[in-house]
Amino acid sequence: MLELAQTLVFGVLAGSVYALMATGLTLTFGVMKIVNMAQGAFLILSAYLCYGLWSRFGIDPLLGGLIVTVPLAVLGVVLYQLIIQRVQRIDPGLTIVATFALALIAEACIALVAGPNPTAATPRYFNQAFRLGSLVIPRAQLYAGLLAIGVTVALQLIIRRTWLGHGITAASENPEGARLVGVEPARVGAWIFAIATASTAFGGAALSVLYQFTPDSQDVWIGLTLSVVILGGLGSILGAFAAGLLLGVAEAVTSTYISVRWAAAVPTLLILVVLLIRPQGLFTLATRQDVGT
Amino acid sequence: MIRYLAAASIAALTVSACSSAGSTIPSGSGTSSNSPLTIGMSLPLTGPVADVSKSGYQGYQLWASQVNAAGGLLGRQVKLDVLDDGFDPSQTAADYTRLISRDRVSLLLGTLSSLLNAPASAIAARQGMLYVEPSGGAASLFSRGFTNLFFAQPGTTTSEPDQFVQWITSLPASQRPATAAYVTQDDPSASPAVTVFKTRLEALGIKTVYDQVYGPSTTNFDTIAAAIARAQPQLVIQGAVADDGAQFVRSLEKLNFSPKILFQTNAPADAAYPSGIGARNTEGVFTAEAWSPQANYPGNAAFVAAYTTRFGSAPTEDAANSYTAGQVLAAAVAAVGRIDQQALAAWLHTHTVNTIVGPLRWDAAGDPVGSLLLAQWQNGRLQIVAPKSAATTATVVNPKPGWAR
Repeated sequence: MLELAQTLVFGVLAGSVYALMATGLTLTFGVMKIVNMAQGAFLILSAYLCYGLWSRFGIDPLLGGLIVTVPLAVLGVVLYQLIIQRVQRIDPGLTIVATFALALIAEACIALVAGPNPTAATPRYFNQAFRLGSLVIPRAQLYAGLLAIGVTVALQLIIRRTWLGHGITAASENPEGARLVGVEPARVGAWIFAIATASTAFGGAALSVLYQFTPDSQDVWIGLTLSVVILGGLGSILGAFAAGLLLGVAEAVTSTYISVRWAAAVPTLLILVVLLIRPQGLFTLATRQDVGT
Repeated sequence: MIRYLAAASIAALTVSACSSAGSTIPSGSGTSSNSPLTIGMSLPLTGPVADVSKSGYQGYQLWASQVNAAGGLLGRQVKLDVLDDGFDPSQTAADYTRLISRDRVSLLLGTLSSLLNAPASAIAARQGMLYVEPSGGAASLFSRGFTNLFFAQPGTTTSEPDQFVQWITSLPASQRPATAAYVTQDDPSASPAVTVFKTRLEALGIKTVYDQVYGPSTTNFDTIAAAIARAQPQLVIQGAVADDGAQFVRSLEKLNFSPKILFQTNAPADAAYPSGIGARNTEGVFTAEAWSPQANYPGNAAFVAAYTTRFGSAPTEDAANSYTAGQVLAAAVAAVGRIDQQALAAWLHTHTVNTIVGPLRWDAAGDPVGSLLLAQWQNGRLQIVAPKSAATTATVVNPKPGWAR
């Protein structure tokens, strides 16, 4: 029983971090139909920036995520205006190629500046844990999990309770209709990209404390974040959070009760099952695809 | 939706394809007596192991420059023809084929890791070329019947347990661990080494309480560490390849489970290992090494000094191994007196070569007759604790102290 409880704790904590890392992709993929292949590179860039704030100025890497949101949001807007928007006009499908190119360029630039060696922030609590009886709750993962909940709630409030959020929803569900009521999808797009890249800063902050990373670690995380987004349903922030938890718990249970080697196959297997049973994702209502196009 | 997924998949596949595309650094060939003697190699200068391959390349560069300063090989200046394989075995095979058939290099030197040396040495064997490799110690490489393959380290990965098991055997029965956990990456060099560890330690009566293999993409070791903590082994052996070593220790630290004895392959020798787990937590961790900067073998101190002067940092084990491979090749060429691949291989099979990692000799398969050094982190430095002939300290930290907080 204790083993199962411990496994679930690890799974939930790891899963919340997966969800945190995927929030930016959820927005761009779900709302703008852009598969942002540079999401992994943004994550790694954020991790390096948080690490830099911690190692140079002693700023806690998880709190550093808050500071890093600013340059990441600016970067998001600049990239959207300069590249994504223009490519989208030519062919929306080409945005995959464009963001993939951005990912490669970002990886090379990070490697030039930071070098290829593995890096990890080790704040005082990185190897400490709370204990509830025999149950171990790693502090860094707990903090990252709380951060994930905070970011999810904040994004949900922005989408549901603000005019910007309503604009985003309108532009994603029916661009032509949104334009008729004064919502310009292109402008909303810049906002979405800014929010998406800014929220990625928190994922990078968690990454910098919980895992070692190198400039090319993005390859690992882009696959995982795509899995979270597909499982949760496009554009659903709460769905992505739930999907992250599901993925984390499934991995942990597989590692503990089946085999560590099978854990790597869990995201793919889950996607296959969900696509067969609920192709629209776990938390998205099926809609007519001809309405907004 | 399907369109996006398909496109995403294609893009993801393209990542690996692009990252492994070969590119050329200087190229050249020559067969006349006045032209440079071109030595070909392919290295993972980009990709996931670019950090370690850089120092390996520098080891080769230093060796070549010293050979040239001393008059070259057979009176000809040495020129390195280096290709980049991006840590892709297919690209490595293509690169060595190109080096032999298009660039027409006179000699070959090996690349890094068993993963890459396996296809490269097969190409060399097929073309009848001598192949001296600085790394690639997986036992499987030496069971293919090749007679032109030589490993330029004191032992292969299956010899990693030798000194450690001897040390365990030397402990009084009351101090020997009673239980052990084994965890290894599914890797051609790490997995076989851990299997040998397990076999030999079980033969000593040490009970196995946990045994797991994880995939190379594993990043989260919490569940593994939790299972090990529940099993409470006194000894933990990890077949680590790179940063999985530090990740595993970080998970053990979070659970505050510190085994009395911890042995990890490869990872503890990485420059980033102390910062990854916290410098104080390295104390007492064992690993196996092919080379030590302090070892008193002829030329070793001069190598360390020359490397440090030229590149501004102390040499890594990969740098030393590359330099050693060059030494082995040069010794054979100098002794045979001509570029005759079969004669060079025959000479190496029957002679001992003195190198900075000690005297090397090989069996018929090119497997070195020797074992790796047993090293342990002590006071922030990796010290050699066995064998005595190479030991840099007489002290062994046992048991390992608990994790620093």
